[in-house]
Amino acid sequence: MGLLRRWVARQFTTRVIVLMPVAIAINIVLGYTVQSVLKLPIYVDSIGTILVGVLAGPLAGALTGILSNLIWQYAPIIGGSNIGPFAVTAGVIGFMAGIWGYLGVFRSRPATGLRLAVPAAIAVAVIAVLAARMYTIPQYTDPNVGGYPSWVYAAIVAIGVVAAVAVAGFIYVRRDAAGAWVAVAGALTGIVAAIVSAPIAAVVYGGVTGSGTDVIVAALRQGGADVYNSSLGQGLFSDPIDKTITCFVVFVILSGMSTRFLARFPLGERLIGRAEDGDSRPRDAV
Amino acid sequence: MPDFARRIPVGRYRGLHPVTKAILAMVGAIVALGVRGWTGPAVVLAAVVLSGALAGVLRRMALFALATIPLVVSILLVNTFLYPNARDAIVTVGPLSPTWTGATAALQATMRVVAFGMSAAVFALTTPIDDLLTELERRGLGRRGAFVVGSALGAIPRMVERAREVVDAQRARGLDTEGGPWRRFKGLVPLLGPVILGALGEVEERTMALEARAFTAPGRRTLLRRLPDSRRQQLARWLLLLGSICLVVVSLSGVVKLP
Repeated sequence: MGLLRRWVARQFTTRVIVLMPVAIAINIVLGYTVQSVLKLPIYVDSIGTILVGVLAGPLAGALTGILSNLIWQYAPIIGGSNIGPFAVTAGVIGFMAGIWGYLGVFRSRPATGLRLAVPAAIAVAVIAVLAARMYTIPQYTDPNVGGYPSWVYAAIVAIGVVAAVAVAGFIYVRRDAAGAWVAVAGALTGIVAAIVSAPIAAVVYGGVTGSGTDVIVAALRQGGADVYNSSLGQGLFSDPIDKTITCFVVFVILSGMSTRFLARFPLGERLIGRAEDGDSRPRDAV
Repeated sequence: MPDFARRIPVGRYRGLHPVTKAILAMVGAIVALGVRGWTGPAVVLAAVVLSGALAGVLRRMALFALATIPLVVSILLVNTFLYPNARDAIVTVGPLSPTWTGATAALQATMRVVAFGMSAAVFALTTPIDDLLTELERRGLGRRGAFVVGSALGAIPRMVERAREVVDAQRARGLDTEGGPWRRFKGLVPLLGPVILGALGEVEERTMALEARAFTAPGRRTLLRRLPDSRRQQLARWLLLLGSICLVVVSLSGVVKLP
């Protein structure tokens, strides 16, 4: 019990307590700006959640996600919203971000030559497997579950190719093998988020959320999918893309921050790495 | 003005304890979203309109209702025209065939959404968040929890203002935020960077400021503002919360079928 209490207390230092409201504000303001002002078919409302999860741990990340949605719902300073019920999804995203933080997924890994080519190839292979898996999921192919909206197949292939090129390009341009792990973490987080969100959207909102992604729901319904499977199909289409983009944004933010700043967070050492590993960031002069 | 000097809210609804109003909002959400059929959302909507009338915020609640329009339109269109396995067409015009089953499901979902949104609105409009946080802290939330929620609410308008300044500054440098999807997507990066990095830059200073003010000192803070509470309200809170959960369980399990 003492171990559990210490584990919990370690994730809620004063620095993390100060970071959480900033992260919540980032989630709400950027999510509102991207969805309502720029009107893009992605959410980008989890940057702060993933940031806290990676820096502090799973519980802090989960709490940030849950509070973001509840505050956005019950204190709708930026207009009304119906995002409250998705607090569960946000909590899961933050929890997973904490796990990625423990695993050091977002640690920079400078590399050249083969040490760069292998992660790039792995990332492309993982994206290809995920795209192939999406290509054949029942929500898009089984007439008893989903339908045959033909444009979805071309979209999956196109998005898969763009994602593979973007991730490989990111790895080569920055000469950082961490891009591969960030892409995998983002895709996995997106898939889990879609699975958790689908029943909430289906039961609470009849399968739609009032955002640009409702077009995908409509297309799947046109093909014969029921309420739950059309929500799941839309989620599996949008969430991996959105969460991968969000994870890359968080990775770029973290790589732009000073080592001294990061080291003071509970999981900061896992972001910086050890000097003897040879793949750590240069440490700031004290 | 310091919080202990502000007037205590009065009125049949506004005079309720903040935790009571929070529980009412939570119960409204649970019943509106959890109870199947028309009854749950209808009862919540009626209760919320009555509360809003008692508190004198009906006109402002209408603005919150307007904010649900994009979601309501989406629900009505997608479900009325594309409801799975619905064959009872209202009318058939070319490829379009709205159905009665779809329309019924759409209206029920719309009522749920509006009832849920309005229960949140009446709470947000009648309850100063500082009062709620003070009372929750008195009941064990702790100063850290109160700080996180209170500070987040204060940070949002500051960040909105900063985002607006950044968008204006970037537009003055030629950033296009009105073009096609690709252009708008490209506009994300010059917007995200300054807003996020600017906000994170304050974390270190604030941490030191809090530490200097004994934020982590053991023991409870002395809270000067005490809002009146009563045994009746305490009992009502527990009964409402437990009752709403039981009602949802009974409705979802099919033991009781409400219209």
